[in-house]
Amino acid sequence: MVAAQLDALTGPQFRYALAAVVFVLGLLLGYLVGRVNERVLRALGVDEAVEGTSVEQVVDRAGSTTVRVVARFTSWVVYVVAALVALDIARFSIQTPLWYPVLSYLPSVVVAVVVLMAGVLVGDRVELFVSERLRSVKLPEVSVVPMAAKYTILLVAGLVALAQLGVAVTALVVVFAVYVGSVVVFTLVATRHLLTSAAAGVFLLLREPYGIGDRVAIGDHEGIVQEVDVFVTHVEAEQREYVVPNHLVLRQGVVLVHEQQ
Amino acid sequence: MSRPPELVGDIVEGIDVLLLFSPSGAYYERATDLEDTAVVVVAQENTVDADEFVELPLEFDDVRERIRFGVEGALSEGVVTDGDELGCAAPLFGDDIDMVTRTRADDSDHSGVYDLFANSRGEPGVIRDVFEVAIELGRKGQKGEPVGALFVVGDAGKVMNKSRPLSYNPFEKSHVHVGDPIVNVMLKEFSRLDGAFVISDSGKIVSSYRYLEPGAEGTDIPKGLGARHMAAGAITRDTNAVAIVLSESDGLVRAFKDGELVLELDPEEY
Repeated sequence: MVAAQLDALTGPQFRYALAAVVFVLGLLLGYLVGRVNERVLRALGVDEAVEGTSVEQVVDRAGSTTVRVVARFTSWVVYVVAALVALDIARFSIQTPLWYPVLSYLPSVVVAVVVLMAGVLVGDRVELFVSERLRSVKLPEVSVVPMAAKYTILLVAGLVALAQLGVAVTALVVVFAVYVGSVVVFTLVATRHLLTSAAAGVFLLLREPYGIGDRVAIGDHEGIVQEVDVFVTHVEAEQREYVVPNHLVLRQGVVLVHEQQ
Repeated sequence: MSRPPELVGDIVEGIDVLLLFSPSGAYYERATDLEDTAVVVVAQENTVDADEFVELPLEFDDVRERIRFGVEGALSEGVVTDGDELGCAAPLFGDDIDMVTRTRADDSDHSGVYDLFANSRGEPGVIRDVFEVAIELGRKGQKGEPVGALFVVGDAGKVMNKSRPLSYNPFEKSHVHVGDPIVNVMLKEFSRLDGAFVISDSGKIVSSYRYLEPGAEGTDIPKGLGARHMAAGAITRDTNAVAIVLSESDGLVRAFKDGELVLELDPEEY
C-alpha cells in the first residue's frame, strides 16, 4: 500500500534508492550488533567458560574464537534480513509467495542454531567438568560417565532445536523419556542400599546417638566406634574392624555398652 | 684442560637409581632415555606420570630432609634396595633442578619419616593437613604469643578411651575435618585451652580439651622436652595413633609414632 502510493508519487528510481539505503543501514546495523554481541559475550565470561572445549579447539584451528564466530553469525542474520527487506522495497522478486514462508521461518532457524551451539558448548563443558571430578578414580571404564553426560545434553539440545524448526519430534521425545527413565530406575535399584545407608547416616551424624570412642554392639558386632561417616560405621574389636552399613544400624538398633568403672 | 661436567661427573658415576625431585615433564622425558639406571620421581604430585613415584607429603624446605624422605620412601616402596648407590637431582635455589648429590640407600639408617605418613592409621592427607595447621600455628602464634598444641591423629576410638575430658568438648556434635578452611581459625582459638586435640583416621576433629592418660612407663623421649611431648610419646606407644606436637618453649613441630620422635620441623622455615 505504502509502496504503491510512494510509487505513484516518485517513480521506481526512488524505490531503488530507498532499497539501497535500507540495505546499507542493515549492513551497518549488522556490523554493530556483531560488535556489541562480542563485547557482551566477553563481559559475561563466555570466552573463559568455553576454554578447552572441543568446539573452541575446532574454531581455534580455523584461526578464530567461539565468541567471534557467534558474533559473526548474528551479524550475518541481520545482513540477510536487511537484504530481504531491501529486495521487498525494490519489489524485485518478493511478490512471489515463495519468499514469505522462508522469511517467517528465519527466526526459528536462528533460535535452533543458537540452541544447538549452546548445547554443544554446555555438553563439552559438562564432559570436562565430570571427567575432572572423576580423575582421582583410577578405573578406565569410568570414562563412559562423562561421555554419557555429554551426549545426554547434546540429545536435549538437538530435540529442542528440531522442535523449534517444527519437525515432528514426539517419537524422539518418547525415546528420550524411556532412556532417562531407565537410567533413573537402574540407579535407584543399584544404589538402594547406599541411599538407605546415606539417609540413616545423615540421622546418625545429626543426632549422634553414639560417638567415636563409645563401646557399642550392632547385631553381633561389638567394639569401639572408630569412625562414623555418611554410609558406614567403623566398629573396632580385638584384632578386627567391622565396617557396618548405616542402614543396618537403624534396622538392628544399637546397644551402647557402659563399662563398669 | 677439562670441562666442568668431567670434573663433577663422578658424583653420579655408577649409580643404580636416579631420584628426580619435582622434575618438569621435559626433564623427566630426557631422564627416561638413560641406560642402566632406573629413574624414580619424588614429588608432591605425579604430574609427569612416572611409573616409579614417591609422594612427598610436605614441601620440605630443607633439602636434606627432602632427600632423606625420598630415599626412605623409595626403600619402603621397594623401588630401591638396601645398598643401592643413589643419585639425587633436586631443585635447591630455583624451581628447576639445579643440584646433584649422591647417597646410599641404607636400611639401618631408618628414621621412620616415610612410615609416619604412608603407614599410619590416619590417612596421609590428614596427617599432612595437621602438620600444616601446626606449622601455621607455630609461625603465627596466638596474638603474637607462642602457643603449644598437641594433636593425636588416628585410632581415635582407642585414644578417647585412654583419655578423659578436662571440660565440655567444644567439638561435640560438630562435623569439622582438618583441612576445612575454617579449621585454622578454630584450632587457633581452641589451642588456648589446655589438653590435646583428638582427630580420627579420616580427619574428623573428635574432641579437644582432652587429658591423655596413657601408661608412660618405658617411653623414651629426648631429655629437655616437657610434659606435652611426654604425653604425645606415650599415647603413640599405647595406641596406633601418631602425635604431632607444637612446642610452646622452642616453637618446633615434632611428630611421634610408636613412642619415638620421628620428625622435627622448624615452622619458621616453611
